[in-house]
This record gives sequence, structure tokens and C-alpha cells, in this order.
Amino acid sequence: MTTPKIVADTSVIKTMRKLRIPQTERNRELALLILAFIVNIAMVLLVQLGATGAIDTTLVSLTATLAALVLGLHVCLRYAAPRADPLLLPIVTVLNGIGIAMIYRLDLAEGYTGWAAFSTRQIVWSAIAIVAAITVILVVRNHRILFRYTYVFGLSAFVLLLLPLLPGIGKSVNGARVWIGIGDLLSFQPGEVAKIALAIFFAGYLVRTRDSLSLVGRRFLGIQFPRLRDLGPIVVVWALSMGVIVFQRDLGTALLYFGMFTVMIYVATGRLSWVLIGLGLFGGGAAIASQSLTYVNGRFNNWLDAFSQEVYDAQGGSFQLLQGIFGLAHGGLVGTGLGQGRPAITPLAESDYIIASLGEELGLAGIFAILALYLVFVGRGIRIGFMEGDDFGKLLSLGLAFTVALQVFIMVGGVTRVIPLTGLTTPFLAAGGSSLVANWIIVALLLRVSDSVKPPRNAEVSA
Amino acid sequence: MSELTLLLLRFGFLILLWFFVLGVVYALRADLFGRGNRKPAAASGGSSSPAPAPAPPVARPAPAPSSPTAPTAAVNRSRGGFATAANARRLVITQGPREGQEIPLGSGPITIGRSADSSLVFRDDYTSTHHARLLQWNEEWMIQDLGSTNGTFLDGKRIGSPTQVPLHTPIKVGQTVFELRG
Repeated sequence: MTTPKIVADTSVIKTMRKLRIPQTERNRELALLILAFIVNIAMVLLVQLGATGAIDTTLVSLTATLAALVLGLHVCLRYAAPRADPLLLPIVTVLNGIGIAMIYRLDLAEGYTGWAAFSTRQIVWSAIAIVAAITVILVVRNHRILFRYTYVFGLSAFVLLLLPLLPGIGKSVNGARVWIGIGDLLSFQPGEVAKIALAIFFAGYLVRTRDSLSLVGRRFLGIQFPRLRDLGPIVVVWALSMGVIVFQRDLGTALLYFGMFTVMIYVATGRLSWVLIGLGLFGGGAAIASQSLTYVNGRFNNWLDAFSQEVYDAQGGSFQLLQGIFGLAHGGLVGTGLGQGRPAITPLAESDYIIASLGEELGLAGIFAILALYLVFVGRGIRIGFMEGDDFGKLLSLGLAFTVALQVFIMVGGVTRVIPLTGLTTPFLAAGGSSLVANWIIVALLLRVSDSVKPPRNAEVSA
Repeated sequence: MSELTLLLLRFGFLILLWFFVLGVVYALRADLFGRGNRKPAAASGGSSSPAPAPAPPVARPAPAPSSPTAPTAAVNRSRGGFATAANARRLVITQGPREGQEIPLGSGPITIGRSADSSLVFRDDYTSTHHARLLQWNEEWMIQDLGSTNGTFLDGKRIGSPTQVPLHTPIKVGQTVFELRG
């Protein structure tokens, strides 16, 4: 044995021990990360070759800078969370890189350069997001700390959601009042960060109250229904999300919050009645909203009757949706090739319709690769929840992973006309700084939870 | 740049993308299949059971089964036989949040309630602080309600006075149902 003889300085021993653990997880992550960087840089190069026929090194070097930041995160994980899941970071890196390359491709088509280009801003936001993730990993050394501040997170979620309604800093973009910003300089969607705070709040709240939610109540039609007073929280959340729809005109976010809460309460209690109540409340809310709110009604029309000429020509009609679908059809099985399609015809091709743009240029094969990456990401998140950890970590990671899954479903389903389109962001891909920051923080939290719940590996025990 | 090169690069990129996906899935595989031999206990235990609850303080060593008890226990598999110190060896929770847990029976009494000093702690809204007590009286197990709000039910009937407990008969306290078994 080569155990250090110095007993007094425990920190030295700890470091020595840490260095001697064979970090299989982290080495696997590093190998995948290198592959991820190759994919990202290859995609940027192909976009340039396809669209302009020449190679411009500015964007390549910017991508390389991001790669360096991701490596920084990797090194932090080696020290701060050595047992964290090795797949999350590479997957997210590739998705982020694919998004940047596609946004860059659309900038080339539109002729945007410098700070006006979406891609430049997306890269800067990615850098901020990765730094935020590093901060979370380094500051939150154990996710159970978050449990202590359950109600603080709940309150801050409410405040963040209400911020855009304040005059002065609130801004309205495309009819949705979900932004805050100072002038035109900096705009941020606090709802994205509120999502994380809400997930922490729900997890903490449900761990505290799930016994009375699941065990008390009367049976009706073979299903146990909760007491009226236990229904309080779900009704409050429902009212909150309906309020978001009415006052901020943001259907997608409301759907996201409500879906997240329903799933978390179902997982916490294991009672089917909560899912039924949730679906019933959602169905009722959606039915009322589609009849009484004109913009929701318009969305439904665009979805059901997309191919009729009047709806296509109408102001705010199905023009955009159909352009996206035509693009997807144009892409076919293997796509037109990067830089060789015409995704820029679709309005908002770089944010809401990024999936349609990618589908046009990478084809069904590329879309399926992207969806497979999402699938593995969400699957890992849920798996982290099911590792033998504490209940809070279980609910938190499950809720966060489900949030990502629901966003992907809402966006991909909306673009492909499976469900009515609502404005959310496709996680990691779409242009939008607040969403990037929020999703990278989600990754950091998942990494942190997976590090704390994983039992020490054999190698460490024998060392 | 010729058309052909672009075409090749195009397919090359798709292959690279899928190569990455397969790399991820390959790494996943190690996690799915590489674990089985390391944790044999996980297969039988199941990950659905919650974090191990602190063992109740009644876990005194159960009396070693003397040879005549084995046939008695077999006879008493059907309901009817009263639980005695000799033939009842464990308390099994059959319904409720701690469903599936077993507590070995000693010779001392078992207190049931919401308070932390109970030997069996049930935290639900229908259980009183000091709800009921299981005790041995002349070598036979009795259940006694300690003036609980919602009552203690033996085989569906609310008990008023200390009652003898038959084997394999459900006892309901709050939302939890348990029975004594051999």
C-alpha cells in the first residue's frame, strides 16, 4: 500500500486519494466530448462550404472557444463531481453545437454579420450558459441543500414570472409579454429560470406533503381521489399557469409548468387520480381558452385547417407552419445538405422552427439522430431519478428531465403539426439566450444529483 | 468545390452524427449491462422500495423457533388461530406507505402512533399520536386502542376494549393495514 504516512494534513490525503481513483466515467465523457467537438466543427465547416463555398475561420475559432469552455466544465467535474453521469455533457454539447451551426447557416442566408447575427449572440449566450453551469456545479456541492430553501425557490419563481408584467422592464415580443430588458440591449425571459425554481419548489413541496396527498381521500370508481384541502396546491399551480396564458399570452410556458407539476405529483404519490385530475383541468382550461381567447383560437385553426387557402393567407395564419412542413418535405430522407436548402424562407427559422430548418438540410436521418440524442438525455435524467437516492433528488431530476422532454415534444410536435404550435424553445438548439442558460443549469443540476446519488465505485472502495 | 465532394461530405456528416449517437449508446450499454454482476442484491430488492426506513426499536432478536411451533404455524395459515408468543413471529404491513415491511415480534409491547417514540411510526393524517398498542397478555397477543380519534379496526370491526388478535387477520390503523404471521 502506498497510503501517505502524513496523518495530520487530511486535505493532502483527500486530494491524493481523489487523484488515484481511476475516473472511468470522466474518461468516457472526455472521449465522447472529443467526438462531440469534431461533430460541431465539421458541421460549421460544412455549412460554410455548402452556403458560400469557402472557409471562414472566425466562426470555427469561436466554436473552438466554446469547446474550451466545455472542457473547463469537464475538468471541474473531475474535481467537484467525479461520479457524475458521463453522457449528459457530450449530448448537450453536440445539440448546442448543431443549433449554433444551423443558426449561423440562417444568418448566412439572411446576410446578417457581426452583432446583428443571431449566431454571434447565440455563441455568447452559450458561453454565459456554460459558465453558469460551472458555477452551479462548484457552488451547489450537494443538491440536498436546495431542499432547505424550497419555499424561497417557490417565491422567487412567482416573482420571476411576474417580472415581465411590471411596467418599465417588461417587454412584449410577438404578442407575448414574457421578456424583461433594459432598452433593446439586453432581453431575458425570466420564465425560463422560473422553470427551474418551480421544479425545485415542487420537488421539495411534494416530498414534504406526499403522504397526505397519496393516502388520504375517498375512493370513487376504483380510484382514490384526494381530499379537497389537499387539492389546494394543484389548483394554485393551475390558476398560475392559466394566469400566464391570459396575462402574458404564452400558451407553451403554461402547458410546460402544468405538465411538469402533474408528472411530479404523479411520481411522488403514485396515484393515477392526479393524472386524471391534471388532464381534466388542462382539457377544461384549453377548451375554454380556445373558445374565448382569440390567439389561442387562431392557433387551433392553423393546426386543424392548415392547408386551406384562407387560413394560409390570413394574417398570423398557417403560412409559417406550412413553410416549415414544405421545408421538411423538401429535405426528405437525407436532406438537401447543409447550406444547400432554403430554410430561411420560414419566418423564425432560427428559433421556433429550427427543427424544420434542420430537417430540411439534414433530412429525416439527421432529425432522428437529434431526437435520439434527446431521448438518451431524457432517459439518463430519469435514470438518475431512479438510482437509489433521496426522494428530493429523485423528484427533482425526474421533473427536470421531464421538462426537457415536454419542451421537445411541444416544439417538434407543433412544427410537424401533431399538436397546435405554441411558442417554446427547443432545448439547446433554438436561438434564445435565456433558454440556453436555463437548460445548461438543468444539466448542471442533473450532473450534481447524479454525482451525489451514485454509490462509490468498486475502484474507490479498494483504493 | 465539386458537387460530388459536397455530396460525399454531406453523407459523411450524417454518418459522423450517427457515429456519435452510437458512441453514446455504446457508453450507455456499459451502464445497462455492466452492473448486473456487481450488485446481485439489487435484482431481488427492487429499486421501487423507498430509502430504508430506520429499523423500529422493537427489533429484538425473535425467539428461536422451537420445534413444535413449525407444525402449528402451518395449521394456522387459515384464519382463526389466535396469535401467541409461540406461533406469531413477525408483523407484516400489507397496505399503506410502508407496505411490505416486516417487523420481528419480540416479547415486549409494540406501540403504534404518529409520535417518534412509538415503536411503529405511521405518519398519516388518520393516525393519532399514541394510537394503539400490541401487547402480550398471558402469552397471547392483544391489541389495545389508546383512545385514538379514528379507531383501530380488527378484521373490519372497531375495537373498544383490548382484543385478542388472531393470526393472518388484518388490523387497520389510519391508512396502514398489518397482520401478525407465523
